[in-house]
Amino acid sequence: MLAGQLFPPMSIEDQNPFPSKGRTHGETVSSRVIGTGEVNSDQSLMEHVRAGGEQAMASVFDRYAGLVYSVALRVLKDPGQAEDVTQEIFFQLWRSPDSFSFSRGTLGTWLLVVARNRAIDQLRQRRPAESVEDVVVASATNLQSEAETSILMQRVRGILGNLPREQQQSLQMAFFDGLSHSEIAERTGQPLGTVKTRIRSALSSLRKRLEP
Amino acid sequence: MTDAQHISQDDLALFAMQALSAEETAAVRDHLSGCDVCRDELAGLEGDLAMVALSVDQQPLPAGARERFVQRLKDDARAVSAKKPKGAEPMLLERTSRWRGVAWAGWIAAAAALIVAASLGLELSTLRARLQESDNKVAALEASGSRERQMAQVLTAPSAQKVVLTAPKTPPAPTGRVVYLASQGGLILQANNLTPIAAGKVYELWVIPADGSAPIPAGLFRPDAAGNGSVVLPQIPQGVKAKAFGVTLEDAAGSKTPTAPILLAGAAPENGE
Repeated sequence: MLAGQLFPPMSIEDQNPFPSKGRTHGETVSSRVIGTGEVNSDQSLMEHVRAGGEQAMASVFDRYAGLVYSVALRVLKDPGQAEDVTQEIFFQLWRSPDSFSFSRGTLGTWLLVVARNRAIDQLRQRRPAESVEDVVVASATNLQSEAETSILMQRVRGILGNLPREQQQSLQMAFFDGLSHSEIAERTGQPLGTVKTRIRSALSSLRKRLEP
Repeated sequence: MTDAQHISQDDLALFAMQALSAEETAAVRDHLSGCDVCRDELAGLEGDLAMVALSVDQQPLPAGARERFVQRLKDDARAVSAKKPKGAEPMLLERTSRWRGVAWAGWIAAAAALIVAASLGLELSTLRARLQESDNKVAALEASGSRERQMAQVLTAPSAQKVVLTAPKTPPAPTGRVVYLASQGGLILQANNLTPIAAGKVYELWVIPADGSAPIPAGLFRPDAAGNGSVVLPQIPQGVKAKAFGVTLEDAAGSKTPTAPILLAGAAPENGE
């Protein structure tokens, strides 16, 4: 996939809460309680997991395995390896539920970051560069509700798709392809400092646009 | 890499993605171990990266992935519970000591007996563990039964006072119920407690397709004086699997794309259409 195709370019329409491809919206829906059928919160499920509840762990898997698998597959491009990574992440959470703490952020965002990092480790054929306990994700974004997550997902895609192409390219190469900054500089023919600035600018833009 | 005191944002972002060289990574890690400011900044960047991860196209899990995970959980739970009983080993040692006085000629028989003893010891400890588990369950059931009896007494006692509590001066929250049959494109919405809206405005219902395509407008409606509104069998495509439904406020003619904020929203359950 070409770098620029990672986040398809989209027009900006901040007032659209259910953006179609080509649209974004400006409201942070993730902070609001919407959706139905949320019988168990993540906190409640994890309390049961800590107490050895297999059913609760299966529910956590049901809620987030799709997200984790999709990230792993995006990095590894191999369904078998992506499932292995997914299974391992959730099994590790089952064996060490205290590796995640709600004081640090939300379970969904934490799992997303862990999924990406574990997939990159697998891609590089190396042992995990860090233990999951080391990953701290400061985020109030709650991904418990599927509808809400879907809307936020569209919004993020819209924002990233509207970044300058070179920023998208650098971010993709670092985040999804697992390349180091010097490798990115070499492949793009850009100075190291430029690569760094592009990645940081991309993340800054994303954060600003997602702010309520 | 660092300014006077802290790691630059550029490098923290690269560190978060493990995109620094080994030497740079070690230097950042060393700094982070003693710098709350940079640790907080890093956690914020990880939050940004979580959003980048969220941008990937969603893919269904491979067939059987859930079953494989659940089976692994069960196997692990069994392995853990099998480790818990501690009686087996001491019992084996105890029986072993009894055989110390036996003549050398009996060692072969003793060894065989030891194996049997160990086996019996393990079996006994397993049975004890099961018995303990059963006792615990019975105790839990008894406790639960007692609590339920007390609940029943409270709920059915003629002298019990029954009071409905509501938030003072808080209007009831708007709600909506959608019934949707994707195969026929059939959809019915019944909404209640809707906020009155200005002339020239309407509520609009949206179907959010499960495949990530654009939301589909599914009818305009205005609430009556009691705050009730409905949409009955709007013209929408057939066979669209829905991930969610939402209601927005639009101009009277409606909109082709929804306008923030989302006033009502709900996820469609996995089962059923």
